[in-house]
Amino acid sequence: MTTTALRTAARVVGAVKVYGGGDTAVHALDGVDVDFPAGRFTAIMGPSGSGKSTLMHCAAGLDTLTSGAAYIGDTELGALDDRRLTLLRRDRVGFVFQAFNLVPTLTVEENITLPLDLAGRWGDREWIDALVGVVGLGDRLHHRPSELSGGQQQRVAVARAFAGRPDVVFADEPTGNLDSRSGGEVLALLGRAVRQMDRTVVMVTHDPVAAAHADEVLFLADGRLVDRMASPTADKVLDRMKAFEVRS
Amino acid sequence: MNASLRLSLTSLRAHRRRFAGTFLAVFLGVAFLAGTLVMGDTLRASFGSMFGEATSGTDAVVRGADAITTPGEAQGVRRPVDTSLVRTVERVPGVAAAAPNIQGAGQLVGADGKPVGGQGPPTLAGNWITDPKLNPYQLAEGRLPARSGEVVVNRGAAKKGGLKIGDTTTLRTPDPVRVTIVGLATFVGQDGMAQVTFTGMTQADAEKYLTARPGQAAGIQVRAGPGVSQEELVRRLTPVLPKGVEAITGQQSAQENNDMISSQFLTLFTTFLLVFSGVALLVATFSIHNTFAIVVAQRTRENALLRALGASRRQVSAAALAEACVVAVTASGAGLAGGIGIAAGLQALFPAIGFPFPDGDLVIKTLSMALPLAVGIVVCLGSALLPAVRAGRTAPLTALRETAVDSSGASRFRAVAGTVLGAAALAAALTGVLVSPSVWPAGLGALLALVSFVVLGPVAATTAVRLLGAPLDRVRGVTGALARRNALRTPKRTAATASALMIGVAVVSLFTVFGASLKATMDQTVSRSFAGDVAVSTPSFGAGGSGLSPRLAPALQRLPEVDTAVGLGRGVAEVDGRGRALTVTDPAALARTFDLGTVTGSLRDLGTDGIALTRAEADRQGLHTGDTARLTFTDGRTQNFTVRAVYGQSELAGDYVITRAAWAPHRTQDADTLIAVTFEHGVSADAGKAAVRKVAARYGNPEVQTREEYAQSSAGGIDMMLTLVYALLALAVVIALLGIANTLTLALHERTRELGLLRAVGQTRAQLRAMVRWESVLVAAFGTAGGLALGSFLGWVLVKASDGASDTAFAFALPPARLAVVVLVGLAAGALAGLRPARRAARLDVLRAIATE
Repeated sequence: MTTTALRTAARVVGAVKVYGGGDTAVHALDGVDVDFPAGRFTAIMGPSGSGKSTLMHCAAGLDTLTSGAAYIGDTELGALDDRRLTLLRRDRVGFVFQAFNLVPTLTVEENITLPLDLAGRWGDREWIDALVGVVGLGDRLHHRPSELSGGQQQRVAVARAFAGRPDVVFADEPTGNLDSRSGGEVLALLGRAVRQMDRTVVMVTHDPVAAAHADEVLFLADGRLVDRMASPTADKVLDRMKAFEVRS
Repeated sequence: MNASLRLSLTSLRAHRRRFAGTFLAVFLGVAFLAGTLVMGDTLRASFGSMFGEATSGTDAVVRGADAITTPGEAQGVRRPVDTSLVRTVERVPGVAAAAPNIQGAGQLVGADGKPVGGQGPPTLAGNWITDPKLNPYQLAEGRLPARSGEVVVNRGAAKKGGLKIGDTTTLRTPDPVRVTIVGLATFVGQDGMAQVTFTGMTQADAEKYLTARPGQAAGIQVRAGPGVSQEELVRRLTPVLPKGVEAITGQQSAQENNDMISSQFLTLFTTFLLVFSGVALLVATFSIHNTFAIVVAQRTRENALLRALGASRRQVSAAALAEACVVAVTASGAGLAGGIGIAAGLQALFPAIGFPFPDGDLVIKTLSMALPLAVGIVVCLGSALLPAVRAGRTAPLTALRETAVDSSGASRFRAVAGTVLGAAALAAALTGVLVSPSVWPAGLGALLALVSFVVLGPVAATTAVRLLGAPLDRVRGVTGALARRNALRTPKRTAATASALMIGVAVVSLFTVFGASLKATMDQTVSRSFAGDVAVSTPSFGAGGSGLSPRLAPALQRLPEVDTAVGLGRGVAEVDGRGRALTVTDPAALARTFDLGTVTGSLRDLGTDGIALTRAEADRQGLHTGDTARLTFTDGRTQNFTVRAVYGQSELAGDYVITRAAWAPHRTQDADTLIAVTFEHGVSADAGKAAVRKVAARYGNPEVQTREEYAQSSAGGIDMMLTLVYALLALAVVIALLGIANTLTLALHERTRELGLLRAVGQTRAQLRAMVRWESVLVAAFGTAGGLALGSFLGWVLVKASDGASDTAFAFALPPARLAVVVLVGLAAGALAGLRPARRAARLDVLRAIATE
């Protein structure tokens, strides 16, 4: 793990994101430098409005920075047009959103292979089967998303995110809509993907329990990176967060 | 302001885009309807004023009292008056001037050797009336005809034929006459009376070429002296006129001409357009209903909240209806303005494309404004009624649930009702076709079939789209699969969207199939009953053309290559109190060149007092061979004819046949409509045709065609008609297209988050656009397939019912190439409809789309 940690899956350098202009300008990101090492599970935490979602969106190529640069591997995202950015997302990035992760008209299996199908790639059947096995939905492959529970839907989304073996998977509050048991399953899944399958995950969350599944937690406040914590536990994270609130 | 109204106004403001399609559909339908009505009134009024002006110098017209009108003709044939009567009339006190009006058919041959006009409006020739006040034409250039062979033609005809003053050309009267153009004339300041061509000749020439015998005129035009009113003039003229001749006022005569144009042309024209605006509005109804249904479904949560907050059902429904009402009134109002614009545009356009419609201000009657307005509002409100009621029924609890988009498929009731309707339709249609052939049950069947197709739409949508889209998965991969499943999401909506196009395509297919069948019928008729080798005819359509010289058939008969050349002339007489067209010919030769079916009696010796008629006519009047038929001719004389033969097939030969000798005493301007020629044995088709053509060239150069060519050219008018129908149906297709585009936009709006997700996980903009376009094409394909099936079925029913109900045998034909074009157009319309929604959807911002609630 230490050897892979030398490689960077994604990073942002001097990231500034300003919404609006003039007097009403809001600095969602105010000069953030951060590396997301490959093979690690990184959580981003911070109070509402801290810029954690914006950071993730910009790092993932869903949004553009006002200034600064974002990289996936060695690719600078700012230099890419919409088409190339889309292809990059399709081939090198995976996503798990808080809700509405699946296309309702497609079956579970089709949803999992959607990025591959969009790319016209066949994908690695063994890899897909292994993923399906890990998320434990082998018997639901031909069901529609509406026939699954919320937790099951998120597990499918996780499988989808890893299907194309992306450089990095971004998860935006993946457990936000789930009860704690289902949420725990999804987080365990993400952790297992990183540790057993050598994948990279960046997760935005406001839940200390969720953050505790990560290898490292980054704390954001007012658009700046204010702290990092390795080997987090829920209690440590919670204390850190409380300290925030006291300070601010 | 009332709460419901306030709600609907704010919602309209917020969702203007959603109603753009509805607005356009109503606008187009109403504009077309209003445009048609205004156009009709304007044309009617300007023709009226044109005739009024043209005949303003004529205070009375003296003419034959009785007219014999054959079925399908607007203007009857009248007995001519003697030109010598002019002198009698002139002596009546109060008459300032009187001139004979000798008129007949006369078609000019243009500089290129082709006949001028003849495709609808009459081609006339007459004497140039020298009294300028009695003559509706005025000399514009050159001089008046002074000698035999000199003519004045109206400027429009000269332009069309590329003729100038000083040119010598042929006038088919139908006997070819060499004429030199010495002057150009205008009609009330215009280049002509619409598209009618007129050739004015000296009175002597007119009497010689246009009447059966000199000294006859169609009528006498009379001008009153000062202080004598038109009525007074008629009162004074009447006593001096012989029996069977009457005098009418100039006003009456103008009115009659006007009515004739109205009934023969304008009424047909406007009815035709009205039918098509009806189709367009029907299609619009579906589009509009669909839009409102979707909007109400999308607003379920909002409506539920209103209900939870205490709004009554009625208030919620009223809000939805008020919204529809605002759209209806504004769109219909704009449609009226658009309609006036269309009428004004056409008025300006017609002269520009060489179709001189008379000038005049637009005539905008209350009815032509009130009717389209009412229709637009009723269509719009009617379409919104059901969705509005449904809106009112929203349970307050729905507000708390997830937004439930209506995804209900087809209910069992629908399937059963649709099937029952379909069965009833089939039964009615088959009754009309097979059991007791009649158009009424067949028409009822057609209507039921349409309803059952609409009802069954959602039932069929799932299977149909799955089938139609099956190849898409393979060709377009996941994009295709997504498109297909999106189209399958709400079968009801897909079916409703497709229904609009289905109706459009059904009408197009119906006309296509019916047109092809008519052509096949013509073809069959000619190949069955025409036994000659070549046909000589002047292709004409409507009232135009002059027919063939009666001297041509005898000239052809003298050719060594020709075995038989028989000319068919046309006469009219009253038989059994009704006007009938007679075929004037050599009956014995007729039997050799036409297949007349089974003949009872003999066509050999009809003589001057014998007649042959078809079995159908004979049965209708209870006549048998040997019986006596009483014929009254235009000259007022009545004669008894003995039925000498009854024949089976009438198609080309007509219902009544008499000899030239029998017709001679009653004849008018002589002309043959068709000459059938058979060659001697051993004469090749090419050699025979060449010989016939050489002779025909000397008689005004009519068409010489082989049997196949003749069959084809007989069907030429059908293609012309079809082209017009297609052009008019384009409007309905455009409205259907708007409906598809609108539904798609609304559906995409529902799927914003899904689109965001797809883009996030790597769907390119191009892929997204393709997905939306293919969905649109699939919906269109479903509508087109349904329309094609329905239209072809209706075509079959119509053809078969007409076949059974009339004497003529109709052939049924499916034109594969044309129908394939219809399919392609339907699919292209789908692709086109998807274009804009696809572009809009692709422009979505990914993040914002994912974040939408």
